[in-house]
Amino acid sequence: MPLDRPLEIRGLGYAYGEGALRKTVLRDIDLSVEPGEIVLLTGPSGSGKTTLLTLIGALRAMQEGSCRVLGQELMGAPEAARVALRRRIGFIFQQHNLLGFLTAQQNVAMALELQPGLREAERLSRATAMLGAVGLGDRGPSRPSELSGGQRQRVAVARALVGDPGLVLADEPTAALDRQSGGEVARLLRDLARSQGVPILMVTHDPRILDIADRIIAMEDGRILPTTRAEAAGGG
Amino acid sequence: MNVIGAAPEQAAGRVSAPPAAPRGGGGLDPLRLPMRLAWRQLRADRARLLSAIAGVLFACVLVFMQLGFRSALFDSATKLLGSMQADIFLIHPMTLVSFKPETMPRSRVSQALALPEVQAAVPIYLAQSTWRNPETGRRRAIQLVGFDTEVGVMDFPGLAPLVEALKRPDTVAFDRRSRPEFGDAAKLLAARGPFDVQVGSSRMQVVGLIEIGPSFGADGNLVMSELNFRRIAKERRRETVDLVAIKLRPGTDRSVAVARLTALLPPDVRVLAGPELVAHERRYWEEATPIGFIFAFGSLMGLVVGMVIVYQILFSDIATHLKEYATLKAIGFGNGYLRRVVLSAALILAVLGFVPGLLLSTFLYDVVGKGTFLPLMMDAGRAGGVFLLIFSMCGVAGLLAMRKLADANPADMF
Ligand SMILES: Nc1ncnc2c1ncn2[C@@H]1O[C@H](COP(=O)(O)OP(=O)(O)OP(=O)(O)O)[C@@H](O)[C@H]1O
Ligand SMILES: [Mg+2]
Repeated sequence: MPLDRPLEIRGLGYAYGEGALRKTVLRDIDLSVEPGEIVLLTGPSGSGKTTLLTLIGALRAMQEGSCRVLGQELMGAPEAARVALRRRIGFIFQQHNLLGFLTAQQNVAMALELQPGLREAERLSRATAMLGAVGLGDRGPSRPSELSGGQRQRVAVARALVGDPGLVLADEPTAALDRQSGGEVARLLRDLARSQGVPILMVTHDPRILDIADRIIAMEDGRILPTTRAEAAGGG
Repeated sequence: MNVIGAAPEQAAGRVSAPPAAPRGGGGLDPLRLPMRLAWRQLRADRARLLSAIAGVLFACVLVFMQLGFRSALFDSATKLLGSMQADIFLIHPMTLVSFKPETMPRSRVSQALALPEVQAAVPIYLAQSTWRNPETGRRRAIQLVGFDTEVGVMDFPGLAPLVEALKRPDTVAFDRRSRPEFGDAAKLLAARGPFDVQVGSSRMQVVGLIEIGPSFGADGNLVMSELNFRRIAKERRRETVDLVAIKLRPGTDRSVAVARLTALLPPDVRVLAGPELVAHERRYWEEATPIGFIFAFGSLMGLVVGMVIVYQILFSDIATHLKEYATLKAIGFGNGYLRRVVLSAALILAVLGFVPGLLLSTFLYDVVGKGTFLPLMMDAGRAGGVFLLIFSMCGVAGLLAMRKLADANPADMF
């Protein structure tokens, strides 16, 4: 059922700058993600991975081609539609980007303020449940400054997943972590996504976490390399 | 809801349509939640919060003091005329202010009496002279007010029991609220009874105290009979008067009487109801002197300084949290939500600064009022007005700081 695909990209192109400074960073991208699929995106620095992720995440306006995310066509989509779409996507950044003046629980609950009609008690109990799911059930009242790097990134995972997103986008979520906590966060993300049935598109350079993928896609110079398709990993 | 137990089919169903959330949250959430976030952010940095509150408090106190002085000075400027309790006054049309009066012919008094509505009319004489402090011997300018104390047209608090004594030659009543530089007349009266002072070049006897209060033109006042007035102000001619006070028969409509007097009298007098005379005097101080401007300018400066402080605080709050704001935008918070956060922070600061500002100003009114003999009084109208000013000041600061939100670009987050 291709219509139910959470992500479907056809002939996407993107260039930064204007006129003589114009620099094409993405060309003729075709890419789709199946429901529940975990896809890793790798490639050398400057190959355009982050740019592609920001386009899919509706953080940037499209220039060329078609990009359907969770049923919403992004080509020519107005700002309001893009903001609305972002609420249905779970974002995980390289830095945790938690609000320092809020507790872990408040940070997670904030993501639910975007859903109309929820009561405060519901927001807090869902945030607590989600923190439990990332193994931080007892750290709800802690501020980010009181948590370790791995714990902060797990709070960020909880924030991304608490709103039941239809798609998770992550850009090098383990890059700032040491080997052990990086692996923990990656596997945690995979397990939670599997149990929720949420597809993940994750950019990573980290060879230690390639095993969580259903499929690995390699990019080079703004294109997707055809050879590395369906390089399914073990585990999971 | 079980977060981790959702089935994949359910997840696939969400792909095309976001879940219809059950209604439950308050309708005020779009305002309440940003305000709560703003408060949590402000509260997190105590030092910054305190300096912001101090900035608002400073602006608040400055505005309160400026407005307080302004209205106290205008009130005191009209003190003398305001305490003359007559129904209608006649002044010369060219008189700008009571301490520099143009004179009218005395015959206007009897002309006014021809009107049946008029029960009594008395001429009033005004002049400046000097008073020698009976304790230190220093001389100081003082306002003389002379009129027929007997007819009962004019009244000042405390005058009634002195009417008989003031009929005697060379007697005066001293304004007990005159500045202390004139000497403590109340103490002297209590100690020795009526005592002598030098007024101008005449020796007069102080027989009692009345209550008027110092004004712009005069630090102190003396009230006396018409006859005694001319003994001090020897150069003044009997035929010209400075002001005429009129008492109407009970039950007479004042505005009708004003109209009839205007029609009756020649154009060298102007007919004013009591409050109109006070307003006329006040207008002189407001419009013909820079006093009103000085205080308006002072208030404006207070507001500008307060606004700059609040703006700085809000702006640097956004600048240091740019990443967090960009993250909020990335995960789907609209510009409206974030703008409401900034505006809420500004308005919270307005309230937190205003409340102590009001208390401190009330205290200062009391202290400064006692020290300067100016009638500084906090009233609900002024408190409300200053609150609106402070609220707008913070609102404008918030609106200006908000522009910094545009720098939070969610596309830079990855
Ligand atoms: N805002 C921007 N303006 C102009 N050029 C940009 C901008 N962002 C990225 N680029 C350029 O676009 C190209 C692709 O950048 P992008 O960040 O998408 O690559 P990447 O694959 O994510 O690299 P890395 O692995 O280093 O994160 C690079 O050459 C980069 O210099
Ligand atoms: Mg990148």
